[in-house]
Amino acid sequence: MADPIRLGDADLERALRDLGRRYPYPPTPNLAATVRTRIVVRPIAPVRPIALWRDPRRLALVAAVLLVLAGAAALINPATRDVIAHFFHVRGVVVTRVPSPQPSISPNPLDLGHRTTLEEARSQVDFTIAVPPALGVPDAVYVDSTVVGGEVALAYNPRPGIPLVPETGLGLLVTEFRGDLSPQLILKQAEPGTRIEETSVNGDPGWWLEGQPHMIVVIESPDRVRPETLRLAANTLVWEHGGVTYRIESKLLKAEAMRIAVGLP
Amino acid sequence: MEGRPLDDTALVERARNGDVNAYEALVQQYQELAFRVAYQVTGNAADAEDAAQEAFVNAYYALARFRAGAPFRPWLLRIVANEARNRRTAAGRRMALADRAKAAQTSGETALSPEAAAEADEFRATLVNSLRRLRDDDRLILAYRLFFDLSEAEMAEALKCPTGTVKSRLSRALGRLRAVLPADLRLPAAAGESNG
Repeated sequence: MADPIRLGDADLERALRDLGRRYPYPPTPNLAATVRTRIVVRPIAPVRPIALWRDPRRLALVAAVLLVLAGAAALINPATRDVIAHFFHVRGVVVTRVPSPQPSISPNPLDLGHRTTLEEARSQVDFTIAVPPALGVPDAVYVDSTVVGGEVALAYNPRPGIPLVPETGLGLLVTEFRGDLSPQLILKQAEPGTRIEETSVNGDPGWWLEGQPHMIVVIESPDRVRPETLRLAANTLVWEHGGVTYRIESKLLKAEAMRIAVGLP
Repeated sequence: MEGRPLDDTALVERARNGDVNAYEALVQQYQELAFRVAYQVTGNAADAEDAAQEAFVNAYYALARFRAGAPFRPWLLRIVANEARNRRTAAGRRMALADRAKAAQTSGETALSPEAAAEADEFRATLVNSLRRLRDDDRLILAYRLFFDLSEAEMAEALKCPTGTVKSRLSRALGRLRAVLPADLRLPAAAGESNG
């Protein structure tokens, strides 16, 4: 048998390359799924404000946000409130038409409040949470306690029959809050590409918004708008029953969303 | 997202604008590399997973500060390595020992005789153990170059050092590895042929 060879520099490098190919790493965990669930619920940091005036599209978004805020301020003026509440007959939601498409830059991702369990959520809001039997137990539950009476969000991951909504990273979102306590909580801005249709769910009044995703803004209280909640929403069915306002956001067509809604207990 | 896969720059640009799917695609693409780099630092799987996950989340929120068009991979690895360094706990080091014991069984060379395979295994186990005795920076630079095939420019970015110093750092790290190798270590008889 030949004598083993003394290790030269090139040999050592080659031996290390060889080791790299066979290194006994533990199996790589599936980080993509975990990372995704962690990032969809918190907005990405805004782009440096210094670039604002140099980029006309950013400037346009700022202008649009200011317009939304001005619009919201007008809506919460007591003189106009009743008129609007009457016209848009779902309490808690105000739908407005905006003439031109929004600047095509990123609104915020979801801000649904704090993550919790369904059981805990039931004690954190002062209405009975309805879980759609057609969908079963949600993949994640959030409660936003800053909303009067609390707002619950039931999040469902994409799955066969429930396509991904790129704007939210989720499959379907059901939100519920006391529309009778916060008559103008949600401001929805619909572009010309969004179709708005009057509808009813089990005899209760509602709206169906479809097509181009629309901007939504949460108005926390008569003097506080939460601009950070400005985000895009997909096809939405919104209706009110017994003082509670329900929203279903998804890529589903109206008939499918309706089937989920009418099954709510 | 049909058609040809998007390159890093396009995915990063989309992710910067809040496209979660684009970022998920980046995570898919780099999770193995990130996990393995973290493992090189922590030496145990649990801390490495934790570090890699945290690094991806932090990198997402740091995208706004990421220079458009810059290479994503070395930037990500710098975050991964930092997270991994922060997770070197005493418990982690104990687990690392257990993982290292497993590392001794690196076989898989069915073409070799049982004696030659055992000899090659022992040789590699010695290398793994010697690498573990190096400082993180030395082990990382060796791993970046010889395990993960990073270019000099990428290594400079990942290690946050001038490109001109990468070569000398690499050779110093190799020298320090040689210094901790057992004096009587010899290349296994079969190692020369297993290359390729």
